[in-house]
Amino acid sequence: MALDGIIILDNNGRPIIQSGFRSTTTAYPLLHIDAVNDALQKAERSADVDPVIYVASYNAANVSSACCHVRVGDLRFLCPVSGDVDPLLAFAFLQTFIDILREYLGTVSAATLRDNFDIVYQLFEETLDTGGHPLTTYSNALRDIVIPPSLLNKLLSVTGTNFNSTINSGFGAGAAIGPFSSPLPWRKTGVRYNNNEIYFDIVEQFKAIVNKNGTVLSSNVHGKIEANAKLSGTPDCSLNFTNPQVLEDCALHPCVRLLRWNRDKILSFVPPDGRFTLMDYTYSSNSLPSPSPAQQSLSSVTPSRTNVALPFTIKAIVELEDSGGSFDVTLTSRYSTHALENVVADMHLGQGAGGIRCSVSRGSGGGGFINAGGSRNMDTFGASSGASWSFDAQRAVLRWEIPIVPPSSSWSMHGSFSTTNRIPRPSHAIRVHFDISSHTYSALKVGQLKVMNAKENYKPFKGIRGRSSGEVEWRW
Amino acid sequence: MSIRAPRKGENYELSVDLNSEYREKRKDAIKRVIASMTVGKDVSGLFPDVLKNMQTDDLEQKKLVYLYLMNYAKTQPELVILAVNTFVKDSDDPNPLVRALAIRTMGVLRAEKIIDYLCDPLQKCLRDENPYVRKTAALCVAKLYDLKPELVIDNGFVEQLHEMIADSNPMVVANTVAALTDIHIAASSQPSTSSDDPALFLISASILTKLLIALNECSEWGRVAILNALARYVAKDDKESEHICERVVPQFQHVNGSVVLAAVKVIMIHMRGVRREDLIKQLVRKMAPPLVTLLSSPPEVQWVALRNINLLLQKRSDILSNEMRVFFCKYNDPLYVKVEKLDIMVRLAGENNVDALLSELKEYASEVDVDFVRKSIKAIGQTAVKIDAAAERCVHVLLELIDTRVSYVVQEAVVVMKDIFRKYPSTYEGIIPTLCANLDELDEPEAKASLIWIIGEYANKIDNADELLGIFVDTFTEESYPVQLQTLTAVVKLFLKKPDSSQGIVQRILNTATKDCDSPDVRDRAYIYWRLLSTDPGAAKAVVLAQRPPISIPRTTVAPALLEELLGEVSSLASVYHKPEETFVGRGRVGADSLQRKTDASDDRFSTQKALQTVAAGQQAENLLDFDDAPAVEGQPSGLAATEVLSHTPAAANLLAGTSSNPLDDLVSIFGAPATPAPPSAGPHDIFGGLGMNSTFSSGNAVSLGSPAVQSPSVAIAPPQQNQQPQDDLLGLF
Repeated sequence: MALDGIIILDNNGRPIIQSGFRSTTTAYPLLHIDAVNDALQKAERSADVDPVIYVASYNAANVSSACCHVRVGDLRFLCPVSGDVDPLLAFAFLQTFIDILREYLGTVSAATLRDNFDIVYQLFEETLDTGGHPLTTYSNALRDIVIPPSLLNKLLSVTGTNFNSTINSGFGAGAAIGPFSSPLPWRKTGVRYNNNEIYFDIVEQFKAIVNKNGTVLSSNVHGKIEANAKLSGTPDCSLNFTNPQVLEDCALHPCVRLLRWNRDKILSFVPPDGRFTLMDYTYSSNSLPSPSPAQQSLSSVTPSRTNVALPFTIKAIVELEDSGGSFDVTLTSRYSTHALENVVADMHLGQGAGGIRCSVSRGSGGGGFINAGGSRNMDTFGASSGASWSFDAQRAVLRWEIPIVPPSSSWSMHGSFSTTNRIPRPSHAIRVHFDISSHTYSALKVGQLKVMNAKENYKPFKGIRGRSSGEVEWRW
Repeated sequence: MSIRAPRKGENYELSVDLNSEYREKRKDAIKRVIASMTVGKDVSGLFPDVLKNMQTDDLEQKKLVYLYLMNYAKTQPELVILAVNTFVKDSDDPNPLVRALAIRTMGVLRAEKIIDYLCDPLQKCLRDENPYVRKTAALCVAKLYDLKPELVIDNGFVEQLHEMIADSNPMVVANTVAALTDIHIAASSQPSTSSDDPALFLISASILTKLLIALNECSEWGRVAILNALARYVAKDDKESEHICERVVPQFQHVNGSVVLAAVKVIMIHMRGVRREDLIKQLVRKMAPPLVTLLSSPPEVQWVALRNINLLLQKRSDILSNEMRVFFCKYNDPLYVKVEKLDIMVRLAGENNVDALLSELKEYASEVDVDFVRKSIKAIGQTAVKIDAAAERCVHVLLELIDTRVSYVVQEAVVVMKDIFRKYPSTYEGIIPTLCANLDELDEPEAKASLIWIIGEYANKIDNADELLGIFVDTFTEESYPVQLQTLTAVVKLFLKKPDSSQGIVQRILNTATKDCDSPDVRDRAYIYWRLLSTDPGAAKAVVLAQRPPISIPRTTVAPALLEELLGEVSSLASVYHKPEETFVGRGRVGADSLQRKTDASDDRFSTQKALQTVAAGQQAENLLDFDDAPAVEGQPSGLAATEVLSHTPAAANLLAGTSSNPLDDLVSIFGAPATPAPPSAGPHDIFGGLGMNSTFSSGNAVSLGSPAVQSPSVAIAPPQQNQQPQDDLLGLF
């Protein structure tokens, strides 16, 4: 009566591996695979297929069900649900399962799944009950029961997960400590490190829609604090911020003591071992200092949304004529200290667009900045000081890439295109994605991090950095 | 029993390796067996060889062997018996992982004979010192109940589970709750269940306390299970409701969306019992941010969140009143997300934000995706109908869009314009020439029919109305039936308004329609008009030019009673489909019946049982009308599918689009049942369809065919009295 299982399909819609489906008939998973493949075939764009597909029962004795599915790279993960289940539970579980697979296999692809089918089977068994209830999904606990593939162990320990205790002690000794004897479901007991370290990454993403006059129509900054804890014993951390009022709509990892946070805005927690997301938040620029931050969050009726300055401006002149058009786009950084990195601007030119003639160049400004892309080899497309363009004919998307946009520099792209239709129908928006390192929009500052440990005393190394990215839809 | 594989080939090699003296080789062989199993090869012949490897210290190997057993248990239960001893022995193993594994696997095997051996180890594992074993055993009880309920009852496992709710480990509590809920659902779905069946999981006040304590400490999945159980609890008084709400609200801050949604559901249910206004306000206010936060998730999650937000908004329109901007569509959002956002934006539209909305909608109308463009233009029409003060601005935007001369934009704008004319009669006559200038570009029946309706309606104000309608009269037989019907009505209107100049055209069309037309609907209508005009032109005027009831956008897409029920199901499939669970989980008629039964049984919480019954009755209509709601309609039980095919033939489509599910409704309404409440409750989710398609015809139909009940379901009829009038006239005629 809940999540009936997981099916993983390859990009041709054929099943690679699936969980047991022991409480259902053999036809049941097949029915769902067919339903999803049917829906995908019917849809013009596979991205537009509804994420929850109704699956009719194949005979009168069976109840009908629904199939939740998500795409991950080339794969598609299916989660059939029967009964009245929250589809969000299915999606949340799929996401968690995919994250677990990533942690175990590094990359999730048809090849890695086939190579490690025994691991995947074990993960199916441990994470999802045949009755449809998700079971153990905390990686700390899972690693006690499903031992990650040995070849990848090294790689994983480099990326910050600690398997040493499990592997060295082998299965027998690991059991002596006792799986799940830990009172905290997210942390295992008996973790030991020579160097105790804890790192926090403050990652913020800016999303905005801008109209042709450069006015921001809607924008928000969504942030999260990713942590990587390598601490011995059972450390009790408390983290406070100098400006917690910028945080709003916080969603916290279960390890955080809610009461403490709601009262004092202090994150007090016993961290899981390894990587985890400590909290999600929305940045609120409504940062009037208030005597009691806790009360303020209660009293703000409607959280005013973020008002972050746009990191760049775009001037786009697009002229459309019969069977084609020309464009002239200029992007100018408005930052004076930070460089925008990995800038990618996408322009959808509409069905049947082609015959692109385009040139990209660097304009004035931002002198003296060492351009990382400058020495790169010119690729087949036109390139100038690292900027390049390409055209995906199938999706009719013109892509303009600039590896680094130094402060206050300006870049331009101009050219023309033709369409098979008489009236060109490009989308009236340019989507720009960019990264900024060592920068956060909210300027969230960590005040103090205390790590307390009852049994052993150590001073852990603490590191905090910020990085941000953005996605702006600029209409013209 | 086992059939030996031939002495060569892959299976033989595997069999040799499985019996190898080297550990590694054996383990590798087991992996290869499982690999063959994965790709669908039959390796059941290796059963005895695999079984030999079950006794091992290597946990991974043991798991693989168990996996093999589970796979073949269904097809070869007699072989599994051979493994029973090992299972029982493993359930006593010093290693808790092995104990848990054994008990879990035995529960899954679903073989009758194994089950008899399961009870003793299960008894022991429920009291195991290790929480991992206990929680695994708890779930095993639910599975045992599924196979042999009497064993669970006889062994007192249910009582034991009840004791385990007080377990010190929150994960054990969560799994116990999940198991008890499963057993409860299984037991209550049996018709013979009495209310004192021990299998029923009735949540008492003391259980409530324990659940609230465990809630804050267990994993996200455990929280969802506990929250779902809390949703079932019936609070004693408003103090208790308040207490539950206050304890559940912190869950809004959980990082997992399904926890948030489950918490929203609990709050929505228990808020009904809260009397303190300030607390209700506070709860509603706290509900908004976590829902909005879900919108920064992947599109699938966004969609589920949006569907639920849409539902919540219908009950509490104040939740997100200042948040319209977060629903602005990005051009690379999938269509299903955009459509849902659009609907919510129109729902949130008010005089203060209508300008932002309109400029946004205009932007969407220039996008690439045709479906989305059409829906955006429809949304402009809805905004105009919804907000009187903004109508003029909406019309202005529509005119700008017509100026683009993109065919489908123009056609959709014309369709939308018709609704605006309907809502604000005699206000925007000035733009009629602009619309008529685009006459040649219209090739879609709906757009044509709309323009013809406008011309007919304002025939006296348009100088060359007879010329314009003449174009359609000339091509009458080539047009689709909806266009024919509209042309017919429009010409008769023209005749009634300008009898002198249009005698010839009305003669011509009545002739053509009665003699050369294939559609019985068109023919019949022509006959009725003919008779009306020839016997009593005054009556004809009263019928054809009757005052039409004003249209408005329904505030809800579902009936109020159904809304209440769905809100109780927030965070479930029902809330995503916007249909009660029974309509898609149950089957056909049975589903409808059980819905009624459920309503009968339940206390009068939703006092509007009648409306629910209408929903059940109109369920079929809903499926038919719901062209846009693909996931729900696709593959409805076959009984309905047959009728659905019908709807593709124009005549039937017209009939279905215009009429309610039940022909009886029409009859009833013709015989003067006052204000039939029927169709709106079963209204399609898609207000667009309602405004566009249906009202075109119903606006003409309603009066001329004399069945006011055919007013399209989603166009709410404001004062029912007005309905009565043309109907009386018609009855007078008969």
